[in-house]
Amino acid sequence: MNLFYSKIAGLALIAFLSGCTTPNIETSHYLSSPAFSNDVANTAVMGKWSRSCALCHITGEAGAPVVGDQEEWQRRLAQGEQAILKNVLEGYNAMPPLGYCMSCEVADFRAMIAYMAGTNP
Amino acid sequence: MKNLSRRSFLASSVKAVLFGAYAARGSAFAQSTSWTNWSGGQTCQPAGRYDISSENELAGLLKNTLGSIRPIGSGHSFSPLIPTDGHLVVIDQLSGIRAYDTKSMQVTLGAGTRLGDLGPQLDAIGQGMINLPDIDRQTVAGAIATGTHGTGVALQALSSFVTSLRLVTAGGQVMDIDASDGDLFHAARVSVGALGIVTEVTMQNREAYNLKKREWAAPTEDILENFDELAASHRHFEIFPLVYSDYSLVLSIDETDEPIGQIELEPEVSDDASIAESLGLTSNPTPAQRRTISNATASRIQPTEAVDVSHKILTNLRNSRFNEMEYSVPAEVGAECLREILRTIYEQKIDVLFPLEYRYVGADDNWLSMSYGDHPHATISIHRMASEDYRPYFNIIEPIFWKYGGRPHWGKVHSLTHKELTGLYPHFKDFMEIRRSLDPQGRMLNSHLRALFNG
Repeated sequence: MNLFYSKIAGLALIAFLSGCTTPNIETSHYLSSPAFSNDVANTAVMGKWSRSCALCHITGEAGAPVVGDQEEWQRRLAQGEQAILKNVLEGYNAMPPLGYCMSCEVADFRAMIAYMAGTNP
Repeated sequence: MKNLSRRSFLASSVKAVLFGAYAARGSAFAQSTSWTNWSGGQTCQPAGRYDISSENELAGLLKNTLGSIRPIGSGHSFSPLIPTDGHLVVIDQLSGIRAYDTKSMQVTLGAGTRLGDLGPQLDAIGQGMINLPDIDRQTVAGAIATGTHGTGVALQALSSFVTSLRLVTAGGQVMDIDASDGDLFHAARVSVGALGIVTEVTMQNREAYNLKKREWAAPTEDILENFDELAASHRHFEIFPLVYSDYSLVLSIDETDEPIGQIELEPEVSDDASIAESLGLTSNPTPAQRRTISNATASRIQPTEAVDVSHKILTNLRNSRFNEMEYSVPAEVGAECLREILRTIYEQKIDVLFPLEYRYVGADDNWLSMSYGDHPHATISIHRMASEDYRPYFNIIEPIFWKYGGRPHWGKVHSLTHKELTGLYPHFKDFMEIRRSLDPQGRMLNSHLRALFNG
């Protein structure tokens, strides 16, 4: 495919016009969901999650894997946790570096990934 | 040749390019979490983060600690407003509506409230923000502090709708600031976080309302010739001039009583390659070839319309990341400045694909606002994908902004220094005086702001 045309048809416009609607987030439902309650994702971490990751990972905004979609998360975890952490810290596709969690440390991100993947003990 | 809807463009083959953007980046990362902004263009290794949960906690923190502090919202600024080797103060927890008045249509918010979260909350109390910027992940405090604006010749930047704010100074003093404070109010509404940390903001809103958005393509010169009239006849009016093209994408937004809904063609499978092949393009097209294909493409864009609640029309989430430079120039020279930029891109064969953005913003009285003064300003934005080096392109275009008296957006890339800024903002020295009085030790400054404000 002609690279120039491919770029102009997409890059030139996508960033301006590909707006998505903002999910109306009701995090309390997810935070109390028995299927994903766990010890690792404590209240403080879940508070951070609800103010950042939840923005996209509840609805699947911009292709984000949805919280609790264990099949999809297992597929991604097959790359290894380090690979997912790298994506979180450096940004990946529409997800910005740190996934909008300005207060998160690496340990927080690990807990959040486990929470969303449903892999906590 | 098939007609294209706007969505066809969006569904085209660019995904492969975007998804591959990070493949070449290194794999190592520090175990201690460094900070990086939204675009990836700014980074730092802070000494630590304070994830504050209350104003009292913040005031105590500032009273009992020393060293550099920078407040952080959602990290959407492209300029180095945040990087510090001191501490970051995260204001995420200071969010949500704290009080509202149904008569005055004012609402008091935690400063860390994200704009995208605020819309539904305001819907529930029958209010809507008068105007909004187009990125919804920013915090209220961050958007205000950087002079972030929406579109509309009669509509001012977000900071102008602030009726009062609460500031915790570098020394831990809590100050409530409103119009009765005169100069301090004019300085504090756009302060780039240099006066202290804003914890609470009261905004002037209006009753909730719906907007109708129309998008179409039109020859850029046809629009520019009538831009003043078009801007005056729509609540919001702007264009996205396509580079290497005679066309712009046009966007108008007006208040409506029509029912919520969208009229748009179904997305089509892109036939980009066949179009390019039919036009005989090579992989390295000349500017003239680019113009041919860009015009052909733009002419096939179908108009679309959408009606929705105001915040859903005005703001959205960006699915691709970029770096941006934006300057304001007096509206009367805006079109001339825009034309020179488009001409420069063409003549210098700058390999850029993003359209520009051109719009008017109403005048205001906030000292560091890019629209400060008595007359509307035109704002012009240029962009580069986050995975590309923006500097060569921006370095060529930035002097054009200067030629027309441009003032930079504080949250976007610029290279102006203390000397130039002093000449661009009539109250720049007054702002510095207030800054010194509130933070004589300069705790709220990083190296970037120290250079801008201290010279």
